[in-house]
Amino acid sequence: MAAQAFFTEHRRLWLALCSVFFLVASWELVLTYVFPVDPFFFTKPSLIATAFREQLQGSKLWHDLAVSSQAFIWGFAFAVIVGIPVGLVMGWRRRVEYSLDPFLTALYASPLVALAPLFIIVFGVGVLGKAALVFLLAVFPFIFNTFAGVKSTDALLINVIRSFGGNEKDLYLKVILPSTIPYIVAGARLAIGRGLVGIIVGEFYAASEGIGFAISQAGDTYRLPDMFVGIIILSLIAIILTELMRRLELTVAPWRASDEVR
Amino acid sequence: MASFIKAHDVSLVFKAKDREPVTALTNFSLDIAQGEFVSIVGPSGCGKSTFLNIVLGLIEPASGVIQLNGTRISGPGQERAMVFQEFGLLPWRSVTANVELGLELKGVPSAKRAARATELINLVGLKGFENHYPHELSGGMKQRVGLARALATEPEVLLMDEPFAALDAQTRDLMQTELLQIWERSKKTVLFVTHSIEEAAYLSDRVIVMTARPGRTKDVIQIDLPRPRDYEMRLTPKFNDIKLRIWEVLREELTSRG
Repeated sequence: MAAQAFFTEHRRLWLALCSVFFLVASWELVLTYVFPVDPFFFTKPSLIATAFREQLQGSKLWHDLAVSSQAFIWGFAFAVIVGIPVGLVMGWRRRVEYSLDPFLTALYASPLVALAPLFIIVFGVGVLGKAALVFLLAVFPFIFNTFAGVKSTDALLINVIRSFGGNEKDLYLKVILPSTIPYIVAGARLAIGRGLVGIIVGEFYAASEGIGFAISQAGDTYRLPDMFVGIIILSLIAIILTELMRRLELTVAPWRASDEVR
Repeated sequence: MASFIKAHDVSLVFKAKDREPVTALTNFSLDIAQGEFVSIVGPSGCGKSTFLNIVLGLIEPASGVIQLNGTRISGPGQERAMVFQEFGLLPWRSVTANVELGLELKGVPSAKRAARATELINLVGLKGFENHYPHELSGGMKQRVGLARALATEPEVLLMDEPFAALDAQTRDLMQTELLQIWERSKKTVLFVTHSIEEAAYLSDRVIVMTARPGRTKDVIQIDLPRPRDYEMRLTPKFNDIKLRIWEVLREELTSRG
C-alpha cells in the first residue's frame, strides 16, 4: 500500500514521464521495425541522441547559443523598458489610450514576422536586426498586459492613497505598479515565446550563425538529427524560462496565489 | 456650540454619461463639535458615504459651505483620515508597511514611521502580526490595520465609512468596544457612517438620521447615555428606548421608498 500511496502522491510527475517515454519509444520502434524509413528523409530518437552528444562536445553549438542569446536579451530588455511604461501610462491616461489604440490594435493583430525582411534591411543581419525583431514581437505582450493590469487596479486603493494626500507619482509607485506586477510577469511569459520566434525567424531569414541558423542549415543539408538537436534545445530554453516566470509570479504576488483554487 | 466641522446647505449632483443625473445631497447641513462622536444613519443611497468623502476632501460639493475649524475643505489633509468599509489595505504590504502608508505619503522619516507603526499596532492589539500580509489576516484584524493606519497620521478627525459592516457579529461587537476605548483616550472627533441603529446608538453622542435620496437631515437624536459605555449598557431599557426612537424616524424613510 505504501507503493500505491507513493504513486498517487507523485502521479503528476510519473504520468508525465511515462507519456514522454511512451512517445519516444513508439517513435523509435515504429521507425525501426514498422516503417524503416531511410534516415535521409526522417530520423529517430537514437540518431538524435547521438547527434546531441556530438554537438555538446563540439564548440559550434555553444557559439550559436551565445549569438542567439545576445540578440534575445537585448531585444527582450528593450521590450521590458519600453513596454511597461507605455502600458502604465496608457492604462492610466485615457487620452494616451485613445491615441495609441489604433496602432496597437493593428500591430497586435497582424503577423508581425511579416516585417522581418524590413527589419533586416534597416537594422542589418547581425545582432541589431535580430534584437529589433525580438523587441517588436515581445513588446506587445508587455504593453497589453501592463495596460490590463492598470485597468484592473482597485479603485478603492487609489482613493486610499488620495485620502492620505498622495500625488500622481505616489499613485503610480505605491498602487498602480505593484498591483500590475503580476500581470507584467504573466505578459513576460507570453513575450518569451514570441521573442524566441523573433530570433528564429531572424536567423532563418538572414544570418550566418545562431541557433536558428543552425536549425535551418541542418534542414537545408538534410542533417535531420542535427536539426532536431536545435529544436529540442530551443524547447528546453522556452520551458525553463517560462517555468522561471511562473515561479516569479508566485513570488511577487503571494496574495494572488492564495486565492487560486488548486 | 463651536462647530469644528461645519456643513451648510451642501448639495451634490452626480452626472454620469447616458444616465439621469442623481441628486445625492440637497441642502445638507451639519455642525460637529471638536471631540464629538457623531453617527449618520439613513437608507441606502441617501448620500451618507458621499458626505464622508466630501469631508475627506475627495469630492467637492456643487454648492454649499464645508469647513473644518473655520477653513474651507478643498482636498485631503493631514487633520482627517478615513477608515474604509472594505479596509483598503495594500495586499503587497505587510501590516507594518500598511500602517506606515499615511506617514510615508506625508514624508515622515522612516525611523519615526517605524516607531509610530509599532505603537499603533500595539494599540489595536496586533502585536506579533507585524510581518503578516493582509491575505493572512481575518476581517477583524484587517480593520484593525485600517484603524491603525488612520490613527498613525494623528488626525483630528476620524472618518469611518461603515467600518465594521464587513465583519461577523461578534467581531463587530468587540471592535465597537475597542473603538470606544481608543476614542475615549484620544478624544478625536469621529464621523461614523453606519446602517446599524444599535451601533450608532452605542457609539455616538449624536445620531443624524438622513432622508432617502436626495439626502437631507431628517432628525438629530442626542444619545444621553453616560460614558464610558460598556456592552451591558446595551441590555438596559433606556438603550432600547433610544434604539426605538431612531428606528421610528428611520422607518418612515424606508417605507416611503417601498
